[in-house]
Amino acid sequence: MKLNEKVSRYLEKIPKSKLNAFISINKNAEKDAEKIQRKIDTNAAGRLAGYVLAIKDNIAVSGMRLTCASKMLENYVSPYDATVVKRIIAEDGLIIGKTNMDEFACGASGETSYFGATLNPSDEKRVPGGSSSGSAAVVAAGLCDVSLGSDTGGSIRCPSSFCGVLGFKPTYGTVSRYGLVDMAMSLDQIGPITKTVSDAALVLSVINGSDGMDNTAIKTKEDYTKFAKQKITGIKIGVVGEFFDGCDHNVEKNVRDGVEILKSEGAKIVDVSVPKTPIAVPAYYLNMFAEFSSAMQKFDGLKYGFRKEGKDLNDTVAESRSSLGEEVKRRILLGTYITMKEFRGKWYSTALKARESIRHEMRAALKKCDLLAGPTMPFTAFKLGDKIKDPVEMYLSDILTVSANLSGLPAASVPLEVKGMPVGMQLHADTGSDGKILFAAAAYERASK
Amino acid sequence: MKGVKIGLEIHEQLDTKSKLFCACPTDYREAEPNKSICPVCTGQPGSKPFGVNEKAVNAVIKIAMALNCKIVTNRPVQIRRKHYIYPDLPSGYQRTSEPIGTEGELNNVQIHEVHLEEDPGRFFLREGFVDLNRSGTPLIEITTEPVFDSPQHAREWLEKLASVLAYLDVTKKEEGTMRIDANISLNNGSKVEIKNINSFRNVEKALAFEITRQEDLLRRGLIVDRETRHFDEKMILTSPSRKKETEEDYRHMPDPDIPPLLIKKELAEKTKETLPELPQSKAKRFVKQYQLSGQNAENMVSDPYTADVFENVAKTVDPVIASNWFVGQLKKTLNYNSMTLRDSKITEKQLASLLKLVERQKITERAAELTLREMVLRPEEPAKIIENLGLLEFGDLNTIVKEILDKNEKAVNDYKTGRKEAFEYLVGQVMKITKGSADPETIRKALKRGAELK
Ligand SMILES: [Zn+2]
Repeated sequence: MKLNEKVSRYLEKIPKSKLNAFISINKNAEKDAEKIQRKIDTNAAGRLAGYVLAIKDNIAVSGMRLTCASKMLENYVSPYDATVVKRIIAEDGLIIGKTNMDEFACGASGETSYFGATLNPSDEKRVPGGSSSGSAAVVAAGLCDVSLGSDTGGSIRCPSSFCGVLGFKPTYGTVSRYGLVDMAMSLDQIGPITKTVSDAALVLSVINGSDGMDNTAIKTKEDYTKFAKQKITGIKIGVVGEFFDGCDHNVEKNVRDGVEILKSEGAKIVDVSVPKTPIAVPAYYLNMFAEFSSAMQKFDGLKYGFRKEGKDLNDTVAESRSSLGEEVKRRILLGTYITMKEFRGKWYSTALKARESIRHEMRAALKKCDLLAGPTMPFTAFKLGDKIKDPVEMYLSDILTVSANLSGLPAASVPLEVKGMPVGMQLHADTGSDGKILFAAAAYERASK
Repeated sequence: MKGVKIGLEIHEQLDTKSKLFCACPTDYREAEPNKSICPVCTGQPGSKPFGVNEKAVNAVIKIAMALNCKIVTNRPVQIRRKHYIYPDLPSGYQRTSEPIGTEGELNNVQIHEVHLEEDPGRFFLREGFVDLNRSGTPLIEITTEPVFDSPQHAREWLEKLASVLAYLDVTKKEEGTMRIDANISLNNGSKVEIKNINSFRNVEKALAFEITRQEDLLRRGLIVDRETRHFDEKMILTSPSRKKETEEDYRHMPDPDIPPLLIKKELAEKTKETLPELPQSKAKRFVKQYQLSGQNAENMVSDPYTADVFENVAKTVDPVIASNWFVGQLKKTLNYNSMTLRDSKITEKQLASLLKLVERQKITERAAELTLREMVLRPEEPAKIIENLGLLEFGDLNTIVKEILDKNEKAVNDYKTGRKEAFEYLVGQVMKITKGSADPETIRKALKRGAELK
């Protein structure tokens, strides 16, 4: 099928979808498709030619809105491209649109968006997970080929697990964050959401590598497509006992079956322990709140974005910020509180120490094996409205995903072959060993089909 | 002054081509408003700092070294975010480094610390307009201990500091880039900070006003509030600032986007080797090498360009005569025209030729002065100027004097018998002919010498 035909089909299908997964559609998609098709026809096309991508709406695409699913940025048009977008376009990837998400990535269900909740393609009464809710839903529902999400505490992996697709969070520093709207700068990382391991490897190969526009992106560019073909004989997989504590029975059974399949493919299975897992959630939230409150300082209504005039400067800022949603405001407030002079010693410093101890344990566990395995989420997608009233319960659902961010490790949610709602198996590797996750995921993919 | 304690915080822009965290040029003065900008320095959502401009870091190390600071090499130097809301601050926080140099000293004034930070944009309150061209320009901040005991002391020291910075050649040269905050307390009372003063003279004036104000409050038994004030240049007074900065909590936090700076000991040592001869040691050398007075030496070294020109002139002209002219007539003439020596474009050769004429007493002092005045405005070889202006050389004057003495024998005899009017008459006669191109003192000398020979 020619690319323009493929794009036309997607463009027909998207408005009919009830998932509310897109915020903006690229108006030039058909023209872009023709241009790329001409390159394909003359064998002059890049590695992503023929691929149709969706981008989470907290990543800048020049000339398109960058809303972060917030009223604050409802009409903000980005004047520039994120580095990942530049790299995708340079390899002739076609961007079809920007996807729905939790407002400013604050949420694990896709329900905090100013533009309304995204629905789960497997069951429209259920949440798709968050915060990259739209990016996971559009891939699962076949509204594009692959997508980009961002992951600060599980925002790629959680919706991938709930929607039954592959979500990959690379090692911190592998992919440039230039153009990704900050949530928590020391935790944020962009990654692919795909149906297949080879697609994830290809997208990651295009977008990774050091960037002069992001100081933390220092890793030399690598080609991951070769990893997706390696055999896993002899690879050691550690099953983390604590990751199954409080986990749904059905999820546990499916994940343990998944591990068995890897074993039958030649992996060696060992038991390992990460006893500090229970403190991961408070450690994550305190660190994230602190950085998030700093990142959100710029949204003051004075330069761009929603502005509501007040009686003086401070009042204008306060009025303009009142456009932010409940969850965003809660996080700014808590972050401001714990970084105040008076409380910093008690809260922020403690949080930094807790983060260090989690990192230490995760790295120690990975000294004993190549990969850590467990569930991505302790349960499958819940019903819309079930948890949104109780922020603490919502926060606790991140318990298995936040350790990767706190430690800077790569982690992926691999979709398992299940009956009923999707379940994801999470694999962690040591920093820089992103490829190992890909070859284990590929082995599972081959064996389960 | 008794009980006065003044401390200074000096902000000066560093002379780098690009801004501190992005590639935009720092030529914001020449550019149209909001043209030297990019997503980074305008705080667009998703933009990130590219990293810390290495040239700016090196400039701070160089200055810190010249101020005899210890360079922080034993621990990482964090870039921190200082949060506050103002229209000129696009990201809602200003990035400032931890101290890069500490415990320095210049002219018996202790330096507390030296660090790097970014300049915000410019907010024009009345127009409600923000120009972000300046946003992200690298600044050095130098903080002294509160050791100045008078406004004059503070101003004099600032001039010394400016001279050191001129020698190092790593800060912006345009006027008005330096901004100074001065804090002052009387008799260990509350500290009052005066923010954003734009010249050394204004520092002196603002502090003098502040001392009078505080003394007046204390005399009346009132309390001096700990507060931030600003200086009104036109009214020559300080008034409380609109922004209540003393109460603000900046929520300082290490910037997660920027790995801490690691300054290598070797780099610090290497920088030390590349430091130029600084004004203090140059003045000492001038005294020793050229037998100048300490005052003349100090006066000349304050501007590195002047000091260099002097040294070249002193190769062919007597250094003491040259230095007297440099700090005397030359300086006076330049100041009168609000120029520096560099601005005047006088060449070393022109200056040396003129001073050689003075040294060999070829022209009168008066003629040399007039030549210099012309040279400052329209640099040329002095001989040509002398000719064009029809100025007297010594030979000419002596001829005129002889003529007058021969013509007025009676007056000469009257003078010799002690009649002062007779001498004044002779002076008047010579002046009539020379039409002011020789000064009265030179004429008197020449007349006295001539009359005695008769
Ligand atoms: Zn810029």
